[in-house]
Amino acid sequence: MKAKWPLLAILSLLVLVLAACAAPAAPAAPAAPAAGEEAAPAEQPAQEIDFVTWYQYDQNNTDPKSDERVGNAYLRKTIPEFNAAFEGKWNWVNQPKAFDKMNAELVAAVQSGGEVPDLFEMGTNWVNLFYQNGTLQDLRGWAEQQPWWKDLDPSAIAACTAPDGALLCIPMSERPHLVYVWKDRFPNGFPRTPEEFMKEAERLKQEGLYAITFFGSTDYDGEGLTRAIWTTIASWGGSLDDGQGNMKLDTPENIAAIEFLREIVQRGYVPEIAFAGKFQEEEAFKDASAASFPTGLFGYRYVNPLTAPDGTQYSKGNEEDMLDAIAAGDVILEPFVAPEGKKPGCGIEVNGFGIPVGAKHPEAAYDYINWLMEDIDRNAEFVLGPGGGFPALLTTRSHELFQQPFYQEAAKALSQSECRPWYGSLMRVAEAQSMVMQTVYRLIKEDPTLDIATELRKTQEEYNAGN
Amino acid sequence: MEQTLKRRAGKSPRNWLPFWLILPTIVVLLAIQVYPAIYTIWLSLQKRTPQGWEYVGLDNFRRLFGMGLFDESVGHTIVFLVGYAGLTLILGFFIALLLNRNLRFSGLYITLLFIPWIIADIITGMVFRLLVVPDYGLLSGILQNPDIFPPNGLSILTAVRPPSWFGNFPFPPAPAMIYLILASSWRALPFITLLLLAAMQTVPHEIIESSRIDGANGRQIVRHIMIPLMLPTLVVALFSLTLSGMNGVGMVFSLTSGGPGTSTEVLSYLLYSIGWRQLNFGRAAALALLIAIINWLLIAGTLRVTRLQQRSE
Repeated sequence: MKAKWPLLAILSLLVLVLAACAAPAAPAAPAAPAAGEEAAPAEQPAQEIDFVTWYQYDQNNTDPKSDERVGNAYLRKTIPEFNAAFEGKWNWVNQPKAFDKMNAELVAAVQSGGEVPDLFEMGTNWVNLFYQNGTLQDLRGWAEQQPWWKDLDPSAIAACTAPDGALLCIPMSERPHLVYVWKDRFPNGFPRTPEEFMKEAERLKQEGLYAITFFGSTDYDGEGLTRAIWTTIASWGGSLDDGQGNMKLDTPENIAAIEFLREIVQRGYVPEIAFAGKFQEEEAFKDASAASFPTGLFGYRYVNPLTAPDGTQYSKGNEEDMLDAIAAGDVILEPFVAPEGKKPGCGIEVNGFGIPVGAKHPEAAYDYINWLMEDIDRNAEFVLGPGGGFPALLTTRSHELFQQPFYQEAAKALSQSECRPWYGSLMRVAEAQSMVMQTVYRLIKEDPTLDIATELRKTQEEYNAGN
Repeated sequence: MEQTLKRRAGKSPRNWLPFWLILPTIVVLLAIQVYPAIYTIWLSLQKRTPQGWEYVGLDNFRRLFGMGLFDESVGHTIVFLVGYAGLTLILGFFIALLLNRNLRFSGLYITLLFIPWIIADIITGMVFRLLVVPDYGLLSGILQNPDIFPPNGLSILTAVRPPSWFGNFPFPPAPAMIYLILASSWRALPFITLLLLAAMQTVPHEIIESSRIDGANGRQIVRHIMIPLMLPTLVVALFSLTLSGMNGVGMVFSLTSGGPGTSTEVLSYLLYSIGWRQLNFGRAAALALLIAIINWLLIAGTLRVTRLQQRSE
């Protein structure tokens, strides 16, 4: 019997270790108040409780050259304001996260039963993936009871909605894509059709310039797809899915859009740096060697300093450079080119807040969201800061902050465009993004002799095999 | 007799001491090796759905083998490993030979040589990237000069791979892959050089001297005396390079991110992408298991070859 002692001890230890290491069952989402019920008043805690958020911004980073200075400064200003407004109740603790890793970190934290924030700043490109992974709580029951609910843009609500109808985020701002253009590079105005574009691009090439730069690499697992590539496909009337969750790429519209991209790359209308990744494509627009740059509205704050075609310098080195260039009329915002009879397309992402499954204090998140939604100035301040787009609250759109040239220009360009999310009904968005961008890259840059339809078909078959 | 021994072993309290002494190690091993390994196997058989984990059998493996990028990544990994391990071993050996000659200031050289080893691979990747970024990199002026690299200059981070000589196998590699091999070797070189130098210094001078007296030239001494005597160290160096090359992801992440296109997408980076970008933890676990098996096969193969070689000598 004694000889079995070590074996028993090891077995007991194994059980203990496994039990200790095993992921605790993900806590059930606290039920949001059902529709029709009064939103439960948050219980008054005896003392201040930490309200934890995950933003891609860092309130402690005071570097004026930081890429994320706008959001950083916003948090630095508003954290004390929130804490003062909820003194004795909530103490806002923000945990800064890397923008390209925070989604994965959240999914892993929820699945492993780890520490999750009470509120998560997010973009809707990942809504389907969050749904697939059971990451976020359904906020519909609570949100529909709030006074601001009916003031939300319905398309923004749709972007936050999971396939089963659950509302996985509260939309705050809408970030459509458009084209930043150096006005002087196109004396006859930015082209409207592909034919006009080719003519202008050839002229610019003769002058030693590029007509366009865009995120052309496969970096960040195909992030480029969500930008100019999708803008082009959407402008040609294409889409990436069949509406039933299957990938559908080999359509005439998609093929024509990729032919256009292939042509501008192979003819040398796009600088090589567009394919270098790590957002290097911006460099060609900054020095005006590339005349246009399709990207997100949000992108204005990252593209600086600027040198206009006439040598004018916008060199504050912050987001004001692009705003100044637009106010001065050097940079204009335009819809993308589209074939005759088609409306220019563009991508759109909605920025908002989710409450993760397992959040300890969802009522703090409710208070925070209401705090931002119920005051138009505060809402506008958020949208101009971390939001970086147009307000999802329709009332806020009339705020004076959105009457400045940048937003007016953007609104004009967008009124001529039709924006929609790139992923449509696709569920495995990150996988789809990576696969499609790799295929497009292969077709337009790596091997322009490949048959477009065949390659697109191969990609869609590979994706659909996983459905 | 045997029974007496068993009885004594059972009665003596001192016989338990070794067990209690290794118990902490066993606990640590269970927690950081056994449990994650079991969990990875479990995960490789699951798929995430909105309702939770769902058992899918070997479907993750099937999907993995069905990915076009998987085959391509295997090819890239082979090219990378051969290039990285081969180049580092050869350069390391020759630098060790030089340092073994008791040059003046050889202590200084060794100190300088060690600098790359203390730099994190992700930093090395960023620095090497900054050197060759199109238009703005320190070396891009030279590389993009059409007179030096006709007809259009060379843009390492964006140049497409040349047509393959062997069907789908990615050889010759893209310039970015060659650059990735160079950067990885640059970082690994100091450790390998010092390892080989240490082994070289254990080769008895008497043997070398007597072989010289017998008329052996330098090449013959290296081939027939030094390499056989250093073989165990060479195998250790090869292990180290193979495993770090197979599993390292930092350099690829910061230098090329698998690009241009998929030209430098090696298995370790594919694992990172599937797991942490696509959040497909089930398929990532399946790939992790495959990589573990490949690691094991590489080690077993190297050991076997070495043993055969030792026997033949």
